[in-house]
Amino acid sequence: MFEKTLIPVSYGERPEEIKKIGKILKNLGSNSICLFHVTEAGSFFRGSDISWLMILKEALEELGLDVEVKMGADHIASSIAEAALHEGADEIYMKTKRRWQIGTMLLGSISRDLLRLSDIPVFVHKVRPRLPGDEAVITREDLIILYATDFGEASTRPIPYLMEFQGGWCHILHVRGRMADPFAEEIEKRRLHEKLTAVEEELRPYYGRVTSEEVIGDPSSEVLRVSDQISADVIVLGRKKPAFFSAPMGETAERIVTSSRASIFLVP
Amino acid sequence: MWIDYMKRESVFLLSSGIILFFIAVGIITPDLLESVSQSIHAGILDYFSWLYLISAFFFLIFVLGIALSQYGTIKLGYDAERPQYSFFGWIAMLFAAGMGIGLIFWGVSEPLLHFLMPPPFLTSSSPEAASFAMRYVFFHWGIHPWAIYTIVSLSIAYFSFRRGMPALISSCFYPVLGERIYGMPGKLVDVLAVFATVFGTATSLGFGALQIHAGFTHLYGLSSAISVTIGIIVIATALFMASAILGVEKGVQILSKINIIIATILLLFILSLGSTPYILNIFTSTLGGYINNVIDLSLQSYPFAGYEWSRDWTVFYWAWWISWSPFVGLFIARISRGRTIREFVLTVLSVPTLFTFIWFSVFGGSALYLELEQGVDLARVAGEDVSLALFVFLEQYPVSGLLSLIVILLLIVFFVTSADSATVVLGSLTSGGSMIVPMYKKVIWGLSLSTVAIVLLLTGGLDALQMMAITAAFPFMIVMIILCYTLWIGLSQEKDRVEK
Repeated sequence: MFEKTLIPVSYGERPEEIKKIGKILKNLGSNSICLFHVTEAGSFFRGSDISWLMILKEALEELGLDVEVKMGADHIASSIAEAALHEGADEIYMKTKRRWQIGTMLLGSISRDLLRLSDIPVFVHKVRPRLPGDEAVITREDLIILYATDFGEASTRPIPYLMEFQGGWCHILHVRGRMADPFAEEIEKRRLHEKLTAVEEELRPYYGRVTSEEVIGDPSSEVLRVSDQISADVIVLGRKKPAFFSAPMGETAERIVTSSRASIFLVP
Repeated sequence: MWIDYMKRESVFLLSSGIILFFIAVGIITPDLLESVSQSIHAGILDYFSWLYLISAFFFLIFVLGIALSQYGTIKLGYDAERPQYSFFGWIAMLFAAGMGIGLIFWGVSEPLLHFLMPPPFLTSSSPEAASFAMRYVFFHWGIHPWAIYTIVSLSIAYFSFRRGMPALISSCFYPVLGERIYGMPGKLVDVLAVFATVFGTATSLGFGALQIHAGFTHLYGLSSAISVTIGIIVIATALFMASAILGVEKGVQILSKINIIIATILLLFILSLGSTPYILNIFTSTLGGYINNVIDLSLQSYPFAGYEWSRDWTVFYWAWWISWSPFVGLFIARISRGRTIREFVLTVLSVPTLFTFIWFSVFGGSALYLELEQGVDLARVAGEDVSLALFVFLEQYPVSGLLSLIVILLLIVFFVTSADSATVVLGSLTSGGSMIVPMYKKVIWGLSLSTVAIVLLLTGGLDALQMMAITAAFPFMIVMIILCYTLWIGLSQEKDRVEK
C-alpha cells in the first residue's frame, strides 16, 4: 500500500500488539516504519529510559520491516504531524482504543488534533480490519474499500491513494441531498451516473471488483450504514476545510471517524 | 373506477371527511366536542405555547435573512419574467389580503381590552396600561403575522413559479420527501393545510358574524339570540357561495377594491374628526416603543406574572395567523409572480404592516382618547361585549348611524370576499393545485366553512373559535418549520443550477 508509515507510540505500548499492527501494514504493502514518541514538557518520562521503544522496534524488525525510532517534544499532535512530513512518511497510523462501557470507538483529543493538523493521510485503525489473532492476517485481495464522495474538491483528492490501495473490492458511494424539484433531480441523477461510471472505469485496473451506488440522505449516516452493510475494511474520505461553527475536520468526517467500525483513511 | 377516484381525490376525501366528522360530532354531541377540543387546546397551551413564540420570531428572522442574503435577487419565476401586476396594483391587493374582518373586529376592542385587563404587573386603566395596550396591538398585528404569511407564500411561489411544481404546500416538501409528495406523506401535508385553513377562516367568519349581529342589534334592536348570528352566517354563505359558483372573480376584485377605499375613507374620517395630534402622537410613540422592544416582545411569555395573558392573546394571534397562512400565503404567492425575493419580502413585511399600524393608531388611539380624555366608558363596553365596542365608539362621532351601517357593509363584503377566496383556495388545495375547481368542491367547502363557524359558535362562542384556531394551527406550525428548511435547500441549490 504505502512504503513508509509513521506510528505514534506512547509508554505502555505492548510489543505483541505492535507486532500485529506491523503484520497488517506489511501485508498491505508497507516496508518501512517510523516509531515516533512525543514527550510532553514537564512529563515524568521526559528524557528517561527509552528501552521500551527499542523493544517495540525489535518486535517489528522480526517481521522483516525496516524500523527507525524518532522522538519529539511539546504539543503531541503538532509534533507527530511535523515528524511525518519531515521523515517523508506516506501515512500516519493510529489505533483507536475500544471503550467497552459505551460500546463505541472514541477518539482522544490527540487523535482528533492530529486528524485536523496532519498534511499527510492518516489511517485510523478501528474494529475492521481485525488485528491478526487466531485468524489469518488480511491481505490486499481481501480488502474491501468504501470510497465516500460528493464529487466536491475534497472528495476527489483521495483518488490517487485509492489506486495505491489495490484491494479486492472498491465500492464508490455518492451521498447527496435531493434536488428541489423532480426535473432538476432527474438531471442530477443522469449527471452523477456519468461521473460515477467514469470513476469506476478509472479505478477498475486496481481492484478485482469496482461498484458504485448513489444515495440520498445524511452523508455520515449513509456512509456508516453502507460501510456496515458491505463490511468495509477501510473508508476512504477527503478532509474538508472546516466551515465556521463546524467540526474541526468537517462534520461528516468527524462523525464517520468517531462512529465507524471500519478503519478510516483520511486524505487532507 | 371508484378506487381510481379515491386515489386521485384522496386529499379532498380525507380532509372533507375529517371536517365532516368534526361537524357531526359538534351537532350530535356538542359537549363531547367541547371537552375534547378543550383538552387538546389545554395540552397544546400547557406544553407548547413557547413554541408558537419562538417559531414566529424564527420565521421573521428567517425571511429577513433570506431577503437580505445573496438569495434576495432570485426571482419568483423564471429569470426573464416580469411582474404580472404593477407595483401599486400589487400593493393594493396586499392590502386586500391584510385588511380583513379581524382588523375591523379588533381595531377598537383590542387596545381597550389590554387597557382594561392588562397583565397583573400593570394597573388597569392606567397610562402605562394604555401605552402597553398600543404596543401590544402593534406587536400582534405588526411584522410577525406578515412574516408567517411570507414563509408560506415564499415557499409556494418559489417551488411553483421557479421550480415548475403545482401550487400546493406538499410541492415545497420535494427536497425532503422526493416522490413521496405524490403519496401519503405529501397528501397528509396538504390535508393539514386544509385543516388549518378551514378553522382559521371559520374563526374569522365567526368573528365577522358576531360583529355584524352586534351592529344590527345596536342599530335596530335586533334580538341578540345566537340563532340570529346563525341566520347572518346562512345569508352571508348564500352570498359568497353564489359568488364562488358563478365565478364572479371580477366582481369580487371590484368589491375588494371598493372595500379598501371605504375603509381608507372611514380611517381618514375618524382621524380628521378625532384628536388628530393625539392620534399621531400615539402612532409615533408606539412605533418607537415597538421598534425598541420588538425582540423582547417576540420572546416574552411573562412566566412569572402575566403568563395567562400572554397565552390568551399572543399565542392565540400567532396560532390564528398560522392557520390563515395557507390561504393568505397562496393568495399572496399568486399575485407576486415575477418579483424578486428581496422585493417581495421587504414589501410584504413593511407596507401592510405600516397600514395596520395607522389603522390601530386611529381606531385604538381614538378609543383610548375618548376613554382617558373624554370620560367615555368604552373599555367597560369592550369588556362586556367585544363585538359591540366599535359601534359604541362610532356613536361618539357625527353621522354615527351611517358610519355603523358602512362598517356593517364592510364586514359583510369582507366576509363574502374572504369566504369566497377561501373556498377557491380550499378547492385548489384539494384539486392538486389546479385553479379550475369542480363545482361540487366549491359547494362542499363553502358549506363546510360556514357550518364549522356555526358549530363553533354553538359550542362555545368566541372562546371556541379561538380554541380551534390554536389547535388547528399547531400541526401546521410544524409544517412551516419544515418549509423553512426545504426553502433553504431549494435556494442553496440555485448557484449550482445556474452553473449546470
